[in-house]
Amino acid sequence: MVNIKSKLAEFRASLQPSIRELKFSLKLLLKSPLSIIGIIIIGIFVAIAVLAPVLAPPVHRDPFKIPQDWDLYRLSSEPVPPTLEHPFGTTQMQFDVYYACIWGTVTAFRVGVTVVAAVLIIGIVIGLVAGYYGGIIDEILMRFTDIIIAFPGLILSMALVMALPNMFSLNLSSVLVIIFGVIMFLIILFKPDRRLMLITFTLFVVSLYSMHYAPLQIYMQINKLDKVMIALVLVGWPGYTRVIRGEVLRVKNEDYIEAAKASGCSDLRIIIKHIIPNAVYPVIILASLDVGSIVLSAAALSFLGLGAPPDYADWGQIIERSRAWILQGATLWQNMHAFLIPGIFIAVFVLGWNLLGDAIRDVMDPTLRRR
Amino acid sequence: MGLVTYIVRRLILIIPVLIGVTALIFAISMMFPVNVRAYVYIRDIRGVGAVERERIINETIHRYGLLDPFYIQYFRWLGEVLKGNLGWGQADHQPVMDSIIQRFPRTLEIAIISAPLIVFIGIYLGVISAAHRDSIIDHFTRGLSIVGWSLPSFWLGIMLLAYCYGHLKIGVFSPGNLSSEAQSIVASPEFIRYTRLNIIDGLLNGKPWISLDALGHLVLPTIVLVTINVALLIRIMRSSMLEALSKPYIITAKAKGLKDKEVINKHARRNALIPTITLSGLLVAGMLTGLTITETVFGLEGLGRWAAQAALLPDMPSVLGFALFTALVYVIANLIVDILYAYIDPRIRLG
Repeated sequence: MVNIKSKLAEFRASLQPSIRELKFSLKLLLKSPLSIIGIIIIGIFVAIAVLAPVLAPPVHRDPFKIPQDWDLYRLSSEPVPPTLEHPFGTTQMQFDVYYACIWGTVTAFRVGVTVVAAVLIIGIVIGLVAGYYGGIIDEILMRFTDIIIAFPGLILSMALVMALPNMFSLNLSSVLVIIFGVIMFLIILFKPDRRLMLITFTLFVVSLYSMHYAPLQIYMQINKLDKVMIALVLVGWPGYTRVIRGEVLRVKNEDYIEAAKASGCSDLRIIIKHIIPNAVYPVIILASLDVGSIVLSAAALSFLGLGAPPDYADWGQIIERSRAWILQGATLWQNMHAFLIPGIFIAVFVLGWNLLGDAIRDVMDPTLRRR
Repeated sequence: MGLVTYIVRRLILIIPVLIGVTALIFAISMMFPVNVRAYVYIRDIRGVGAVERERIINETIHRYGLLDPFYIQYFRWLGEVLKGNLGWGQADHQPVMDSIIQRFPRTLEIAIISAPLIVFIGIYLGVISAAHRDSIIDHFTRGLSIVGWSLPSFWLGIMLLAYCYGHLKIGVFSPGNLSSEAQSIVASPEFIRYTRLNIIDGLLNGKPWISLDALGHLVLPTIVLVTINVALLIRIMRSSMLEALSKPYIITAKAKGLKDKEVINKHARRNALIPTITLSGLLVAGMLTGLTITETVFGLEGLGRWAAQAALLPDMPSVLGFALFTALVYVIANLIVDILYAYIDPRIRLG
């Protein structure tokens, strides 16, 4: 009993420095007025996203489908200015702008957070591998990032959105073959155990057999918004990989890594325990600065007609409907509500993330932190 | 190492990137079914019936071996690209290469006007902001840059168009490259298109009002491009200026009794400009992307709008041709930036 208590006290004591740092970070974060504005903006948008079913009760079974006012549509398909029933008015084909804006917030969070998380994971893993092992692996991976970075991002994602298929079929058996193959390789390398080897080999043969004679296929329907997200991930990861690789190269030669190696740590342990905590901050800063620009890119693709489908609640898509009146300037001015409000949603959302990202950088960047 | 050696080495390093870029474009094209890929080799088949069309496509697939292993196809495709054949574009009903040549002047016009504005405004505001750190000017500039960074360019464009053309009814701000009467004159055979740039051709043909008309149509797109792109430049210029101002030689210069203006303009700004040059490569990418959206909003018949229309069809050869073109422009821009950088800062080529 005493033992546990003393252990607990020890644990608390070991946490003390990080708690102190966290408090200091929060104090720094709350000191600058701009970062407070950023936090408030993001807070409001989170509230909108969470309360979306209350603020705009879904009409269709799929909540992202924008309801159309059929009573108005019978009269004409032209937009209607804000009324009590439609607080932000309707756009062409009588889609409700208010509903699109509220559920568009959910879409924006989904796109921004999913893409950044995926890019972060892919970028970190590849960057770690390239930086830690170096040599030919590093060379190949880095030349690959060079190629993707040689394109202006939005244009490459435009081409990718166009090229991605609507249906994605994955042969599960072949994935299993690869997985078991890698496991076998690892067992031979690190833990030559006959029984383990036998089990893996059997599974490998079974999956090889199933790949040829009874393939396990899964089909996934990819909608247009998914395509946009996939394209943004494919275009986005090289930037992160480069940053994390640079950091790993810097950290790798520090004395504490030498010490860890000398005391017999495995590669995995060194990477997880020593390299990641010391190399990850610049990428997290980059990620927090990137959410806004990813939402902007997705909105731009939607505006070009490559993003969300026409009845999907998405800010860029609802503005895209206004393109029909661009040639008649007067109509554009009369129907201003149809693009003014969604545009303000986008701009404020992105502004919030940019302010927050700036604040996080000021707090996390060790060169700016204590000045 | 001399500058020439550096340039030669840099040129050699570009080859693998170009191979990679073409390979990536080719890989994307391989995601399409084979009968779509056949359009790279087919000329116009608009008026052809369905049965005949299928026959032509099948013949093309066999003649050009579109079912061969991919590496053989890649080199054959690369050969076609080097000959200048990017395939047949359905968006314009003409070869993709012709579309690029035809539309490039439209894009060049707006790029030539907005790029210097972006650079000068960005550098000026960045320097001012850093020199008067934490003053009202600094807060205003930083606010401006962060807002410019957050605004969706297409929305800004539509807003400007709605206000200036829709509400104020200023005819010269109508969407398109030219007003309809100027368009009809430009299209007529008497109007000789020396450079294909409307602004210059108008002057050369003795019709300056056409030049003014073309220039007027570029005002709003330029405002959008400058607002969106200047933000990044201001941020970088401000931070590199702040760094330069904290260096010992600035303190020395101040201690010698030099005026603030001289210290900022002669000592700090020159050194702070160096990182900004590297950024110009990024700026080119920003311009190309921005042009795609701005041209779509303002109905300018440039490359970006064409590519956006082609992506909707979807017209594979046009979009991939455009992507290849932009990548090429971007790679060359980065090359020039690197050489310029080495020329200005000898540490680069010596180190």
